[in-house]
Amino acid sequence: MSQLGSLIRVGLKVNFGLAVLRHRLFKEKKDLWLVPLVGLAVLGVLPALYGIILFLKFLFVTLQPLGQERALLTLGILAGQFFILLFGLYYIISAFYFSKDLEMLIPLPLKPYQIMASKFAVILVNEYLTVLAIVAPVLATFGVLAKRGPSFWLNAVIVYLFLPVIPLAFVSLLVVAMMRLINFSRKKDALILVGSILMIAVAMGAQLLIRNSPSRGSMEDMAAFFSSPNSLLNRIGAKFPPSIWATKALAGGWSGEGLLNLALFLGVSLGLFWFLMVMAEKLFYRGLIGIGEISGRTKALSRSEMSRRVASGRRPVRAIFSREWRIMNRTPIFLLNGVMSVLIVPAIFILMAKAGGGRGDTAALLRLMTGAASPVAVILAAAAFMIFCGSFNGTASSTFSREGSQFWMSRVIPVLPHDQVLAKFLHSYLVTILGILTASVVLHLALGTKVIHLLPAAGLALLLGFVLTAVGMIIDLARPLLDWTNPQKAMKQNLNVLFSIMADIIIMTILGFGIIRALKAGLSGTTLLAVLAALLAGLSVLSLALLFRFADKRYGEIEI
Amino acid sequence: MIEISRVSKSYNKGKVKAVDDLSLVVRSGEIFGFLGPNGAGKTTTIKMIVGLLKPDAGTITVEGFDIRRDGLKSKSITSYVPDYPSIYERLTGLEYLNFIGDVYGVPKRERLERIEKWLDIFELRAAVANPIQSYSHGMKQKIVLTAALLPAPRVMVLDEPLVGLDPRAAHHLKELMREHCGQGKTLFFSTHIMEVAEKLCDRIGIIDKGRLVACGTMDELKKLDRDNQSLEGIFLELTDK
Repeated sequence: MSQLGSLIRVGLKVNFGLAVLRHRLFKEKKDLWLVPLVGLAVLGVLPALYGIILFLKFLFVTLQPLGQERALLTLGILAGQFFILLFGLYYIISAFYFSKDLEMLIPLPLKPYQIMASKFAVILVNEYLTVLAIVAPVLATFGVLAKRGPSFWLNAVIVYLFLPVIPLAFVSLLVVAMMRLINFSRKKDALILVGSILMIAVAMGAQLLIRNSPSRGSMEDMAAFFSSPNSLLNRIGAKFPPSIWATKALAGGWSGEGLLNLALFLGVSLGLFWFLMVMAEKLFYRGLIGIGEISGRTKALSRSEMSRRVASGRRPVRAIFSREWRIMNRTPIFLLNGVMSVLIVPAIFILMAKAGGGRGDTAALLRLMTGAASPVAVILAAAAFMIFCGSFNGTASSTFSREGSQFWMSRVIPVLPHDQVLAKFLHSYLVTILGILTASVVLHLALGTKVIHLLPAAGLALLLGFVLTAVGMIIDLARPLLDWTNPQKAMKQNLNVLFSIMADIIIMTILGFGIIRALKAGLSGTTLLAVLAALLAGLSVLSLALLFRFADKRYGEIEI
Repeated sequence: MIEISRVSKSYNKGKVKAVDDLSLVVRSGEIFGFLGPNGAGKTTTIKMIVGLLKPDAGTITVEGFDIRRDGLKSKSITSYVPDYPSIYERLTGLEYLNFIGDVYGVPKRERLERIEKWLDIFELRAAVANPIQSYSHGMKQKIVLTAALLPAPRVMVLDEPLVGLDPRAAHHLKELMREHCGQGKTLFFSTHIMEVAEKLCDRIGIIDKGRLVACGTMDELKKLDRDNQSLEGIFLELTDK
C-alpha cells in the first residue's frame, strides 16, 4: 500500500477507534450493552427524520407547480456545505494542529502534504456522517418525488462524496494561513481563539449575504423569474456557485447540462484540494512545528510572591470547580465548544432568523417570541430557545471524558465521588446558566421579548437546564471516553455528546406533548406554567440524586 | 504498612491473568522495591494499591484501611506517582500544587514550607508559575513528585519514579525516599534499575507472569542462588523460566 493510503487507513482506524471497538465488543465484551442503546437512539431519531421528510415533501409539492423544485436540491446542498464551513473549522484546527499523533508523524519520512491529506481524508469521512442527516433526506426525497432514474442516483452519490471538499478545503486554507501567522506570536492560544471567532463571523457573514440576495418587484420580473426552472436555485445559490453546479449536475443527470456541471463541480473541488496540498507543502510545517511550545517567565518567584500565590486552603469542591473552569477555558477547542458556543450560538440563531426577512418558519418562530401569540406560548418558546442555547453544547456530557488520561488523578485524590461530581455539575450548570442569560439578553434586545415573559421563561429554562445537565453527566459517566489523543474527540466527536442531545430532544418532546395535551384538556396558561415548574423542580432533585448515586457506584468501576 | 492478601486481577474476562494470587506485606519504615519484566504485573499491582484498578479477588489494606471499604481514608494517607506524568497541562505548576494541597487539606503554612523546599530541591522554582504544558518530561516528573510529597503522606507508591529524571534529581529522589522511610513511613516502588533496587531497598519482591517468584532482603535473595550473584543475575534466572 502507498504511504498515503497507509496513512489514511491508520488515521481512520484511530479516529473511529475501530480496533478498540472490536476489542471491547468481541474480546472483552464490555460494550455489548451499547448495541441496543445505539439501536434505541436510532429509533428515537426516526420520528424527527419522518418530520423532516414530510417538510421536504411539502416544499417539493409547493415548488413543483412553479417549476422551481430544483431549488430544493440547492437548499439541501447549500445547507450541508454551510454546516461544514461552520463546524469544519473545529475539526480542522484540532486535527491539523492539536492531534497528539503529529509528534509521531512529523519525524517520519513523510511529506507535509501527505500528513495533511491523511488528516483531510479522516475529516472528510467524519463530514459524510455529519451531513448525512441534512443532505441525504433532500436527495432521497427529490429523487423519489421527481421519479428520477439511475443517472440521478449515480450523480447523487458522486455529488455527495465531493460535497464537503470545497468548504473543507476553503476552511483548511484559511486555517493554514492563520496558523502560520499565529506561530510567530507568543500568545498562540488567545490568537487561535480570536482567529476562530473571526472565521465563524466570516462564515456567518457569507450566510447573511446569501440569504439577503436582492428580490425583484415588478410583475414582468416575476414572470421572467418563473419562466426558467433555474431561477430560484440561481438566486439561492448566487453567492456560492458550487451549489448551483451540484444542483444542475443532479437535476440534469447524464444530459449535456448535467455532465458539464458535474465536471465543473468535481473539477473545482479537486482544483481547490490540489491548491491546498501545494500550500500544505509550503506552510503546514511552518505553522505546525512549535505551535505547542509555550514559553513562560524564567524568573523565579520571590518568597513574598510565592507566599501570596500559595493558596490558604479551599474546600475540595471549590478546588475541583476551579480546576474544571480553568482547564475548560484554557483549552481552545474546549472553550470554543463550551463557553464561547453558549455566547455565540444565540446571536447566530437570531441573526440567521432575522436575515430570513420575515419569511418561512424562522419568522413564525420570531413572531411567536415577540408576542404575536399568547403569553404562555411566548414564554414556552423563549424557554425552549434558552435551553437550546444553554444546554445543547456538550459541556455536561463530556465532563468526565474531557479529563482523558488525567482521570487517574480524580481516582486517587481523597475526595468522595459525590463531591467531585458536585463540582463538575456546578461547572457544567454555570455554562448552561451563561447560555440562558445570553439567550435572554439576545431575545430582549434583538426581538424585543418583554421582561415579564423572559423571567418565567428563564425560570423554566433554569429548571430544565438543571435536569439536562444531570442527564448529560450521567450519560458521560456511564462510558467516559478517556483514551483520546485529540481534544476534539472528547467533545465534538464524543458519542456521549450525541446521546445526550438525543436524550435532551426526547425529554423536551415528551414535555412538549404533555403541554399540548394539558392545553387541549383546558388547563389555564398560568396553571400550566406552575405545574410545569413544579414538575421540573421535582425532576431536578431526582436527577441530581440519581447522578450522585450513580457517581458513588461508577467512580470505583472506571479503570484507567 | 501495605498488606496485599491473595490478590488476583485478570483482563479479557479472565483470559489474561495480570496478577495471580499475590500476597505480600510492606512494613512501616521500609523501602520495598518491586521488580519484574515488562508485562509481569507490576503496574497492575500498583494501580490496585492506589485504587485505580479493582482486584478480582483478595484484599489490600493500607495502614490497616481496606482500600475498598475505607477507600477515602487510605487515599488520604497515600501518594501515588504514575509511570507517565500525565497531569493537567493547562494549569501552572503552582496551580496544580495548590489543587493537590486543597484536596488533601494541607494547611497554608505547611503547604508553603513544603512547596518551597521541594521546588528548591528539584530546581523548579523558576518554572512553577508557567503552564505545565511548557515543562519537559523530567520537569513534569518532578512536579508530580513535589505534588506527591506535599501532603506528607504515610505511604508513597511510585511506579518507575526515576525514569526521565536527571542524575541530580534522581539523587535527591533517592535521598528523600530514605528520609521518608527514616520517619517510619512506607515506600513501595517499581523499577527496572537493578542497581538502585539493590542499594536502596530494604526488601525486594520479584514478580513474573503475575506471580511473586521471590521476596526478601538482598541477603535472603542471594541465598536463593548457588552462585551468590548480583541482583541482576538473580532476576534473570528467576524470570527466565
